[in-house]
Amino acid sequence: MPPGPLSPLASRAGWAYAPCMPETMRAHLFIPCLVEDCQPEIGEAVVSVLEHLGLRPELPRGQSCCGQLAYKTGDLDGARALALRYLEVFHAPGPVVCPSGSCVKMVRTYPTLFAPGTPEHARALGLAGRTFEFCQFVAGELGRVDLGAQLATRACYHGSCQVDRALGITQAPRDLLRAVRGLTLVEAARPDRCCGFGGVFSLQFTGVSQALVEDKTEEILATGADMLVSAEPSCLMNIGGHLARRGSALPTLHVAQVLALGLGKGSGAWR
Amino acid sequence: MEVTTRRFRQNTEDACRNGNLRAVLDHATRYFQSKRAAALAVFDGREEHFARARAARLTALSRLPELLEQLEQNASAAGVRVHWATDAAEARALISGIARENGVRVVVKGKSMITEEIGLNEALQSAGAEVWETDLGEFIVQLAGEAPSHIIAPAIHKSRAEVAELFQEKLGLTGQSIPELTLLARQALREKFLAADMGVTGVNMAVAETGSVILVENEGNIRMSTTCPPLHVAVMSLEKVVATLEDAADVLRALPRSATGQRMSSYVSVLTGPRKAGEADGAKQMHLVILDNGRSKVLADPALAEALLCFRCGACVNACPVYQTVGGHAYGWIYSGPIGAVLNSLLLPPDDTRDTPYGCTLCGACAQACPLGIDHPKMLLALRQQLRTGSGFGALHTLLARHPLAYRAAAGTACAVDPDLNLLARLPGLPGVKGFARSRRLPSLKTPFSARFRALQTSRRKGDA
Repeated sequence: MPPGPLSPLASRAGWAYAPCMPETMRAHLFIPCLVEDCQPEIGEAVVSVLEHLGLRPELPRGQSCCGQLAYKTGDLDGARALALRYLEVFHAPGPVVCPSGSCVKMVRTYPTLFAPGTPEHARALGLAGRTFEFCQFVAGELGRVDLGAQLATRACYHGSCQVDRALGITQAPRDLLRAVRGLTLVEAARPDRCCGFGGVFSLQFTGVSQALVEDKTEEILATGADMLVSAEPSCLMNIGGHLARRGSALPTLHVAQVLALGLGKGSGAWR
Repeated sequence: MEVTTRRFRQNTEDACRNGNLRAVLDHATRYFQSKRAAALAVFDGREEHFARARAARLTALSRLPELLEQLEQNASAAGVRVHWATDAAEARALISGIARENGVRVVVKGKSMITEEIGLNEALQSAGAEVWETDLGEFIVQLAGEAPSHIIAPAIHKSRAEVAELFQEKLGLTGQSIPELTLLARQALREKFLAADMGVTGVNMAVAETGSVILVENEGNIRMSTTCPPLHVAVMSLEKVVATLEDAADVLRALPRSATGQRMSSYVSVLTGPRKAGEADGAKQMHLVILDNGRSKVLADPALAEALLCFRCGACVNACPVYQTVGGHAYGWIYSGPIGAVLNSLLLPPDDTRDTPYGCTLCGACAQACPLGIDHPKMLLALRQQLRTGSGFGALHTLLARHPLAYRAAAGTACAVDPDLNLLARLPGLPGVKGFARSRRLPSLKTPFSARFRALQTSRRKGDA
């Protein structure tokens, strides 16, 4: 399978692969902590889809947390240290793809952690510009919406606060899902309402967090969907954990997993 | 009122267990949101209008000292006595002094958050005056001995049935339907307006170029409070000034639409000085109290000055999932919701509000709703940075993440020993994890992605060779 149209990427100045395009373009994977240890299937699905599109996924060594936990609990020094690590790990040119809106949002925030005019600031700006949320990368940057996937299902998409609002990525995931043959896309009654996770919020304000995830789950189940789909692993963990607690068997999948399934590359199949 | 911001977390837990409260809040916040959405849907050029309102507010903040001086000059020229107060105690003393000098026995009040902020009612009562809130919602919470729980709808937390019960108990008046109850309140309040010696109101805007005070309302009670009694005291926090009437008009196009979904509120009063010779109505004596109470300090902080743009429409409050769940009282002081979390943190001592900036999922619904483009999550993050309280869990995670080998060793050990995190949920000292696990199955630790990925690459290389 040849790579898809690369115009938005290839036209971007300073990227090494444009003049001497190898037969396959590499994409660096940035794997969130939660995916690394608790939802590795999401990472596998990302690999399947990117390979299907003719890309060569690579996993730079030494990567760890994006720093949002530190950043969101007021620890700027911790966040800065992790940002520096990220800049180091992903120094090689080429796009960085991540299956989490909130981690990408953190990377896009890196430039604010360094003084303008410093080399770190410049590198942070560069990496913020070439780090992409998975759906945005596939549908927006690669321009590939219809991947030829087929899956007969009724999928409820939860547009997470970080993907929908913080990054403003509202169309890419929905377009990708709508293009899956046989898939009916539905949304919960208040699709843009928070699921109540909020990182440490869910540990500190457990009552409110629980009330919100209960509301969200009710509204999702009311759609009669066969599965819950999101582009944010932490929402999937939060809502999925609550579904499990209340004895629901509703599967919770990342958009990448739905696409991989639809392409006949169910997670684990290629391992 | 008693400040309970220190108990914010416990307050939210208590509120979550109050099913009635959640139902009432759910109904009311949905109602406000749908009214607002309908108003914005037919508001041509709303982005441009909102930008103009923001510009008017930004102009006010960037020229604040100059505009306040101009306001003082022009208001004084129109016959208003202008007073400055640095803090709540000074403002209370000032206004109580005015009441005493004029032998005031009965005070009627228009709804105003600023007088709640300074605890004016108690001060006036200590000075011997009888004080009546005349806004229907404020009247209800006053009868109930409570504080407002929403910046534009003080009694949003009360159902109609609760109000009927309250009227029966406190006023001995029987009513069931909303029109009936409203009529009862109106009849009770008419007597107070006619008996009042002094009217106290807040200020929605004060116009520097004319010295006018603008008041926005729907019930007419504020207009009556400023025209029935011979004496009117308007209280403003200093950021409420705008430069020109033109700027005020820009703000007025955004405010009612965002607040109640109205193109314009039922009453907008522009008061320029007390009654003049030959005029039929208006107070004979008008005072304007300009209060700082911590605002100038906020203005000097570039990360947080944006909070002073707020014109109190309440759109962020209605959009906030936390507010929708716990209501205003849980926040522990008079301001609530996203802007309230910011204001309470800025206006109260830091030690009293250590948890306040954390009561937010950073979902951003507030910033999206704000017609003035205020970024509440950004300010809450700035406040978290200033507090540097962090979280034990966050600090541990960050420490490990800075040393990926240690992180992998820790995750690997946990995966081998406690893959379903059952032990973790039972560890003492991690109440948060326990609370989280009460309503969710914790995620299981699996063979990490990186190991799977490298294994795949190795097997493919072997396959190629």
